[in-house]
Amino acid sequence: MKVVVIDYGMGNLHSVSKALETAGAEVLVSNRSGDLEMAEGIVLPGVGSFVQGMKHLVGLDLIDKLYQEVIIKKKPFLGICLGMQLAAKTGEEGGSVNGLGWIDAKVIRFDFQSNEYKVPHMGWDDVKFVGVSPLFAGLDSPATLYFVHSYHFVPADRKIVTGVCDYGDEFVVSVSKDNIHLFQFHPEKSQAKGLKILANFIDMYRNKE
Amino acid sequence: MLKRCSKCMIPETHETILYDENGVCSICRQYEVKREKIDWKAKEKELLDLIDQYRGKYAYDCIIPFSGGKDSTFTVYELVKKYGVKPLVVSYDHHFYRPNTLRNVDRILRKIGADYLKFRTDWHIVKKTMLESFIRKGDFCWHCHSGIFVYPMQIAVKFKVPLIFWGEPSAEYTSYYAYGEVEEVDEKRFNMWVNLGITAEDMSGMINVPLRDLECFCYPSLDDLRAIKCRSICLGSYIPWDVKKQSQIIMDELGWEVDLVEGVPPGYSYEKVECMMQGIRDYIKFIKRGYARVSHLTSLDIRNGRLSRTEAEKLVKKYEGKRPATLDLFLKMVDLKEDEFMRIALSHAVSPYKHDPNRTERGQKLYDQDSWDWRDQ
Amino acid sequence: MLKNRIIPILLLKNGRCVKGRQFGNYRDTGAPVTAAKIYDAQRVDELMFLDILASVERRSVLLDIVTETAKECFMPLTVGGGVKTIEDMKILLAAGADKVSINTAAVEDPDFIKEAATYFGSANIVVSIDYKQNNDGSRQVYTHGGTKATGKDPLVWAGEVASLGAGEIVLTSIDREGMMLGYDLEFIKIITSALMIPVIAHGGAGTLADLKQGIVEGGASGVATASIFHFTDQSPIKARWFLKDNGVNVRL
Repeated sequence: MKVVVIDYGMGNLHSVSKALETAGAEVLVSNRSGDLEMAEGIVLPGVGSFVQGMKHLVGLDLIDKLYQEVIIKKKPFLGICLGMQLAAKTGEEGGSVNGLGWIDAKVIRFDFQSNEYKVPHMGWDDVKFVGVSPLFAGLDSPATLYFVHSYHFVPADRKIVTGVCDYGDEFVVSVSKDNIHLFQFHPEKSQAKGLKILANFIDMYRNKE
Repeated sequence: MLKRCSKCMIPETHETILYDENGVCSICRQYEVKREKIDWKAKEKELLDLIDQYRGKYAYDCIIPFSGGKDSTFTVYELVKKYGVKPLVVSYDHHFYRPNTLRNVDRILRKIGADYLKFRTDWHIVKKTMLESFIRKGDFCWHCHSGIFVYPMQIAVKFKVPLIFWGEPSAEYTSYYAYGEVEEVDEKRFNMWVNLGITAEDMSGMINVPLRDLECFCYPSLDDLRAIKCRSICLGSYIPWDVKKQSQIIMDELGWEVDLVEGVPPGYSYEKVECMMQGIRDYIKFIKRGYARVSHLTSLDIRNGRLSRTEAEKLVKKYEGKRPATLDLFLKMVDLKEDEFMRIALSHAVSPYKHDPNRTERGQKLYDQDSWDWRDQ
Repeated sequence: MLKNRIIPILLLKNGRCVKGRQFGNYRDTGAPVTAAKIYDAQRVDELMFLDILASVERRSVLLDIVTETAKECFMPLTVGGGVKTIEDMKILLAAGADKVSINTAAVEDPDFIKEAATYFGSANIVVSIDYKQNNDGSRQVYTHGGTKATGKDPLVWAGEVASLGAGEIVLTSIDREGMMLGYDLEFIKIITSALMIPVIAHGGAGTLADLKQGIVEGGASGVATASIFHFTDQSPIKARWFLKDNGVNVRL
């Protein structure tokens, strides 16, 4: 499967690319229209702030192109961490900032009264699967995966939720809506289990080639 | 007092051990899986299919890493006699093979019939690595662990023989891999626990020798192994391993001879017969972790229904923790005084065990120790 | 439940791993990329690379190490040592780091923490705080690899760091570092109780029991250690199994 990992200046592209390659994809790191058109799958990784992420996507003139490829052409799409959050309608950081708006959801900060729960949510935590997603095939629930974030994704429609985690309260860590698959955790940093999830993503769509 | 498994004798200082609510350890639980949940018939079919994939297609059907000990001898025997493979038998020579083992090796390989390759590293280099790894890790056998697991992989790449058959699966003794899981004997496993956390590249800087002097310890690259489509697996993942039964087979069929070993009770004379350094290794383990080979051997027997826990406790109390006669040899080899040796070993203590350095019981000298020629070390 | 983390630290000098005591007397402890592969095979929770000889000339050596490590190791990686600008951070993150650590640069220009957190998000910014105990028992922050006294109180500085947007603090006791005689537990507890962000305790672990204390008594979200894995027969695997067996919430 030919995957384009979008380079929008937001963080660790190398790990995501290598992990996808190890999982069996042919990877190209790019932000060029032409490359996105040729891609069979698109991955939006990213670490960093929501506002910066949107700024960079706008600056690179990617918003419309991504809409074309992902929403209209329905290409398989994987959003990781910031890449998940940007798919929402709004992000809370620095006032209300608009995201890509592909999923009816908002991104809000963890807000705990005591310091028993530290923010950022940093480290390995248990992800409970919701329903049966092919992305988690071969893994037992809960699966311990790696997180590093201060904000989390709140979708309006709970039916698209495929994974949750307990941190203070239960919060959403993965959703799937048609061709759009979003993860709050970092599969490219979650060693064997993370690589399995990426391999599952590639296998899901490989047969359709 | 160390917490031990309620069924076997393995204590909490063992690497990778967990006790459940009944105090039963994770390794005993793995044994239950081995006995009750693995379809060994199906596994054997997998083995036959696997061997057929490689049979006749390469210079050799497979490589068998070999020491002359009970496990590798059985592996050669079973693969050649029962499954009809043509192997290249490969040995890494750590410098410490006992005379009886060398005779065993010659006798067995002549009887079975196989091509044989053996490699030994420059003793000056080995001595340096022994002292360094003892100081850093409380285990002087880095060259042996590394050589045994790297050299056959290098031969696989050089001779383009992709299939490598090791013997016992690690699930027999530890919980790094579970029964039912396919254990690939690969670089990940090597880095995980085999090489003490030290690669050849690390050692080169630590003892200040050029990497080329440690070439035999350099794990082949992932690319080279992928190029030959290397499969490196344990025979024990496909047939249920039983050391007592298997030792008897090689004694009967090949004339494999047992030997007396330091610190090991009668009835276990098939165990670790090949290595001169066994007694010292065992002693160091006892200083660090409060248990040694007798705990391990009796635990295996308990799991196989051959010994009761009470009998095991008696044996452990009687035979473990004695200072071996071979320690004098080791101290001379690496030029250490005994109190320095003890200080270093104690620095590697594994919580919560605290060894009493004033224990003075001594073990019996082995009958052949004086015949080991170490005059020129 | 969020697991407590065991984080090996690899100090880098001239492209080799080194380890010392109280920020001095460094010995070679191996090759960085192979060390990372070993830790990856041992499934460590995170790995930290700290370049202690950081300078403009050595920057490319560190980048090569990070890039090579990211090729085969898929575990979280924090990189630090001489990081001074947003550009430094961008390059390290693009090469394979997940978090970047700043120390001296943060003390010299606290607003840099805010700038970095705004740009990269708090979660990716780690501030390392090194401190020593003064003769009167109070404690003081040191920079420049433990050589320059700042007069700053580490508790006050930690509070400032958190409010400026750092995601995590690595708190190092220079006095205890490499001595393997235990963590500065009382002080760690003071810091972890005061802050809303995770704190990683570093400096002093000599036994597995020390690691447990750092988490349970010190309240740290994780423990960073170097000596115990380089100079003893303990491995991160043994450490995690020991902690689990002793009731500490860790990932196996």
